[in-house]
Amino acid sequence: MGASKGQRLSGMQKQVLSLYRGFLRAARSKPTEDRRQIESVVSAEFRRNSKQIDRKNFLYIEYLLRRGKKQLDQLKNPDTMGISSLNVSPSQNNNAKT
Amino acid sequence: MASIAGSSLSMQPRSTLATTRASGLRLISFMNQGRNSLSFSLRPTPARLRISCAAKPETVDKVCEIVRKQLALPSDKPVTGESKFSDLGADSLDTVEIVMGLEEEFGITVEEDNASTISTVDDAAALIDKLCSEKA
Repeated sequence: MGASKGQRLSGMQKQVLSLYRGFLRAARSKPTEDRRQIESVVSAEFRRNSKQIDRKNFLYIEYLLRRGKKQLDQLKNPDTMGISSLNVSPSQNNNAKT
Repeated sequence: MASIAGSSLSMQPRSTLATTRASGLRLISFMNQGRNSLSFSLRPTPARLRISCAAKPETVDKVCEIVRKQLALPSDKPVTGESKFSDLGADSLDTVEIVMGLEEEFGITVEEDNASTISTVDDAAALIDKLCSEKA
């Protein structure tokens, strides 16, 4: 996400930022404590991905965008109280045993 | 109210030096009741209007404060109206957070098209003032 210098954002970057905005907006409708937790998880997740993923890896970013949109829809449900991050990144091997 | 105070101030130099501030104010409030005063009170307005188009200093200050908080900047780091978010170390995700923080603080909603045009504190403050005046 180093493109804020020239303010020339690609379509995909705009989609990512729009999704991020959507998450922060959805978090506003939750009680304060849940909201803080949601914000920190969402922020950490976006930042982690922005550093780890090659910005030319369009397929994977598109997949994450789709996944994020679904998660956002779930978060918008008034019954959803929180969010937790599932580490399914390749570097993480804890989730393999199931 | 601000424009009335403004016009009364700028009228003072035009009247004779003997006029005191108090009598100048009384004069204005009296004249505003009559219709003849229109030509008088209109004259100083254009100059005032140009100033109110730029962002208000208090808005700029508030934006600076929020930006500082959002980016966790040390207190010795100067943040002014000309400060660019990217120069302060903000990436595009930070900029989204800043805009969201401003929305909450000022009770406004920034459209996404507008959000992407904001790159300095002054940009943000000008947009906020515009949105606030539209809301009012």
